[in-house]
Amino acid sequence: MAISTAHSLNPTYSIFNPTQTHLGFSQRQQVIYKARVRPSYVITCSAGDTIVIGLAADSGCGKSTFMRRLTSVFGGAAEPPRGGNPDSNTLISDTTTVICLDDYHSLDRTGRKEKGVTALDPRANDFDLMYEQVKALKSGVAVQKPIYNHVTGLLDPPELIKPPKILVIEGLHPMYDKRVRDLLDFSIYLDISNDVKFAWKIQRDMAERGHSLESIKASIEARKPDFDAYIDPQKQYADAVIEVLPTQLIPGDNEGKVLRVKLIMKEGVQYFSPVYLFDEGSTISWIPCGRKLTCSYPGIKFAYGPDSYFGNEVSILEMDGQFDRLDELIYVESHLSNISTKFYGEVTQQMLKHSDFPGSNNGTGLFQTIVGLKIRDLFEQISSSKAAGTLQAAKA
Amino acid sequence: SHLRVSASGPDAISEKVAESIKEAEEACAGDPVSGECVAAWDAVEELSAAASHARERSKNSDPLETYCKDNPETDECRTYDN
Repeated sequence: MAISTAHSLNPTYSIFNPTQTHLGFSQRQQVIYKARVRPSYVITCSAGDTIVIGLAADSGCGKSTFMRRLTSVFGGAAEPPRGGNPDSNTLISDTTTVICLDDYHSLDRTGRKEKGVTALDPRANDFDLMYEQVKALKSGVAVQKPIYNHVTGLLDPPELIKPPKILVIEGLHPMYDKRVRDLLDFSIYLDISNDVKFAWKIQRDMAERGHSLESIKASIEARKPDFDAYIDPQKQYADAVIEVLPTQLIPGDNEGKVLRVKLIMKEGVQYFSPVYLFDEGSTISWIPCGRKLTCSYPGIKFAYGPDSYFGNEVSILEMDGQFDRLDELIYVESHLSNISTKFYGEVTQQMLKHSDFPGSNNGTGLFQTIVGLKIRDLFEQISSSKAAGTLQAAKA
Repeated sequence: SHLRVSASGPDAISEKVAESIKEAEEACAGDPVSGECVAAWDAVEELSAAASHARERSKNSDPLETYCKDNPETDECRTYDN
């Protein structure tokens, strides 16, 4: 069987002049990108092996931590493209490329201020270009993707993105546009409740100069209508939702330190079988604290059971509380089934490897790690079924 | 007037965050639900997130490891697998 790769026929993208002024050019620039995306590459027989994962969450809700856990499951460190724009949002590892969908902003920061729209607004994003480039990458074609610079608020000259084995698109709108949504092999939504979001942003911003409780509150309040209208509805399409809520173990607590985290997994998704606790399909409440697991106040409580979510049948696994000693997580891991590990203790090992990441002692880290393993499993199943398909075609 | 070492360093972004908050407060003084006000607070969020990511990056750099990247042949940096 012949093996070939995608080649660049014409790697010249010199239309963009980096010395030109950035002011007020966003509309014009967009047209230039579109015009030169496609014709420069040929699709060859290795094309179409890329699987695409979508991760949706609001700003400051732990997307980057999730991404670091996910790329770690696949091995190798994820790093920004070498020698490129130092403010690039892309992360590349051996198997995985993560692109930030802010790069598809059609309006830069000044443009949004002039028009009076937020980055959450679909009018500030170019879904046509997003669709074209994700589709191209999925079918094995490299693209010149724009870079949205979060520091300057401007659209920088584009960077070359080659089709990886696994493409992760993360940002505010991975499931907003139906065309993009249909390209996704798996989708995840990080759903942070308002109380927890507020607590996290206080932790993140209070030390920052100029910020006060009022400014943090005002920023959340101002963005909320657009968030509710355009971002939140995407969770109905997600294959897995990680919901983060205040704990129920401490009455009246909303500090956001102890968390109740739910992993909501859609049933009947191809290549994805939900995790379960003890007995698949039953409803179970489990307090593991006792002789085998050290828990100080307020302890740990697990729950598992079938449910319905936006009219879909789902399985929900829930963890409330936090671990005191991470190595004892092995006790919890040994009671979970269908976690797609390659060896006994892999979840615990992954968690220990990144014990410094936020959420490592509670359900956010645990469920993010498990979702990472499920994605690895999905990738392996899709790859092997494609290989089998090619073999069949070759025999025929 | 200000000394800017790096455009994306944590200090430079901190300054921008503070500026953007002032702008947002001014933009909202007239009409608290105008598009202008909402967009200004959105810019604050974007810069605060960028500042937090920059802090994270600079915090994670161990001085010895940073030194060893540039000077792998020195006594304190040499490591042999076996």
